[in-house]
Amino acid sequence: MRRSGEFRGPALWFLLFLLAGLAAGLGTGLAETLKVEQPNAQLYESPNFGSRPLGALPSGAEVAVLSRSGDWVQVNYQGKTGWVHKTSVPQTPARGPGLGLPGMLTGGPVQQTKGDEVALAGKGFTPEVEAAYRQKNPGMNYAMVDQVEQFQVNPAQLAAFIREGGLTP
Amino acid sequence: MTLKTLRIAGLVVGVLFLAGFRLPSLPVPSEAGKAIDIGAKTGQKAVVASRGISDSEEYYVGRAVAALLLSKYPLSQNREATLYVNEVGQAVAQKSTMPRTYRGYHFGILETSDPNAYACPGGIILVTRGLIQKCQNEDELAAVLAHEVGHIANKDGVNSINRARWTEVLTTAGTEAARQYGGGVAGQLLTLFDGAIDDVFKTMVVNGYSRKAEENADRAAVTTLTRAGYNPAALAAILGKMNTQGGGGGFFRSHPLTAERVNAAKMLAREAPAGPKEQVRTKRFQQVRF
Repeated sequence: MRRSGEFRGPALWFLLFLLAGLAAGLGTGLAETLKVEQPNAQLYESPNFGSRPLGALPSGAEVAVLSRSGDWVQVNYQGKTGWVHKTSVPQTPARGPGLGLPGMLTGGPVQQTKGDEVALAGKGFTPEVEAAYRQKNPGMNYAMVDQVEQFQVNPAQLAAFIREGGLTP
Repeated sequence: MTLKTLRIAGLVVGVLFLAGFRLPSLPVPSEAGKAIDIGAKTGQKAVVASRGISDSEEYYVGRAVAALLLSKYPLSQNREATLYVNEVGQAVAQKSTMPRTYRGYHFGILETSDPNAYACPGGIILVTRGLIQKCQNEDELAAVLAHEVGHIANKDGVNSINRARWTEVLTTAGTEAARQYGGGVAGQLLTLFDGAIDDVFKTMVVNGYSRKAEENADRAAVTTLTRAGYNPAALAAILGKMNTQGGGGGFFRSHPLTAERVNAAKMLAREAPAGPKEQVRTKRFQQVRF
């Protein structure tokens, strides 16, 4: 009787093959390019929100990762180098706990791209569901919600506000 | 089957299970059971992917909750005050555990003398003029906003959506279901959306969050205030001004009891003498006409 037989033969090769596949997955996860997911993402001079904004990063833009520091990622976008907050270029799909683990395992770049948004059309709570809800509840004050959302604080103005108040940039 | 075969099978299943996590549609076992139950009930055979609420879905829930609140109270059109509240809010939010959300943080003032503040899922925070007027300085306003940002970061709003309802959303939204029911799905999703908004609004505005959720938001606020450079003792100061009467949701939640909450906030942050910059902040707060 071969007691150690369970780790030999085709089964062993099959296991090695699967593990290699998993390792390859981890390897490709460390991609140098990330996708900007957040709208209104800004590129900053230093890794903090109080530093000089270098310009906006359009949603869906691909940025090359140069280095990382805490919650910040140093990136290059169209020849411009600066820092972007990690939540603007998430490494895990932002779809809640059900998908957290695969992102952690693969370390893959953001997966909720425009293509995914198209694929998600007609699923879950979407703009279409909101439109139907608004039609059903005409008394809801969505116009004011839009007004609240459209209000933007200029990043330079915010940086000045933080400086003046002796707050942490 | 021999013991050897069983062991090999076990190993292969184990590795396949690990590899399976790469598949984005793999259901979470505990949730999947429920989802499949509902699927079976409706005659749907597809495996339904179970997942948490996505950032964009949370955003649409938050917009509806905000729309409900804004149907109840008018939005202040005071541009100067709105800008100021947004500046304080942004200074605080970017130092929270969730510095960015799907469409960012946005702050608005509700025209009412009822002192309260509400954190709509996804990042819309509405604070009443009555509560701002109860604040004596910028740091107290920052404490209110940091507490609300804490609720958003902790996802307290969307966590009050009924679990079975959410499972049904996933079932309904599944590709197979969409194919099967065609136009009917939109109607069902609308009912579920309506119910979800009701769940969040009832917990957030009518009944209030749990004692634990409030404690956690207070704790998050103190950490955020410290990181942002505000005086963390401002939270206990503003909580101390709350009206002890009545219940309900929002900032001045009566459970945990006021005194307990103030004491807990005091324990988290010791009173420190106001620095010269705190005086600058107080001065600019006093200059804004709310």
